[in-house]
Amino acid sequence: MARVTVSITDGPIDCMSVIAVDPDIDAGAVITFLGVVRRQEQDKTIDGLSYQTYDPMAKRMLHALADEALVLFEVEAVHVEHSRGIVLVGECSFRLMVAGVHRREAIDAVDWFITRMKESAPIWKTPVFLENNDTIREPKSIAFHEMRELKE
Amino acid sequence: MRINVLLFGPLAQRLERDSVSVQTPEERPTAAGVLTALEHAEPSLIPLLSACKLAVNHTFAHDQTPINEGDEVAVIGLVSGG
Repeated sequence: MARVTVSITDGPIDCMSVIAVDPDIDAGAVITFLGVVRRQEQDKTIDGLSYQTYDPMAKRMLHALADEALVLFEVEAVHVEHSRGIVLVGECSFRLMVAGVHRREAIDAVDWFITRMKESAPIWKTPVFLENNDTIREPKSIAFHEMRELKE
Repeated sequence: MRINVLLFGPLAQRLERDSVSVQTPEERPTAAGVLTALEHAEPSLIPLLSACKLAVNHTFAHDQTPINEGDEVAVIGLVSGG
């Protein structure tokens, strides 16, 4: 099993799904961080966020950060998932799992990874305001003509 | 050289498209030269470009990184993942 996995998926992440930890890894601490869309974004009440990703570069950078975390914090495994497209309030848009021998290095690696990701990974979010409850979720990145229709 | 520059996030929203074609005076421009050409081609992006870097083939470029025919060139502005 790979020590690093990175995936970018359409829509929200199923945060209840299980990430298998390689039994051959001697991990005494497995830390999972879930990024969840808040209702308040920059003092506005929103219905969700639309994520745009530059997929090839984002995957490459997230993988490089995960590789760096393995070395810097001497953790055993890093698994990263990020959403693209629309994620509604209360849904998960980002999941990071770090497995380490002890909790301290795993917790530190989680914090470090998220800070670096927010600084550099080519991922953008736009607030979404639904017109009504019948609005259908877009299966992938929101189109530009649809962005124009979003109300600030 | 004529170069197709990919746009994302606020830059794409500003122009309402996801790429722009720019012409550089040099046959083999640098990353800085491409950003200058972009400023000339799309002046409305200038306020946003000060916070941007050029990515070439999915890697951030330095100002003096040469751009070759066929390279994938993108402007990466302020990001907001997570």
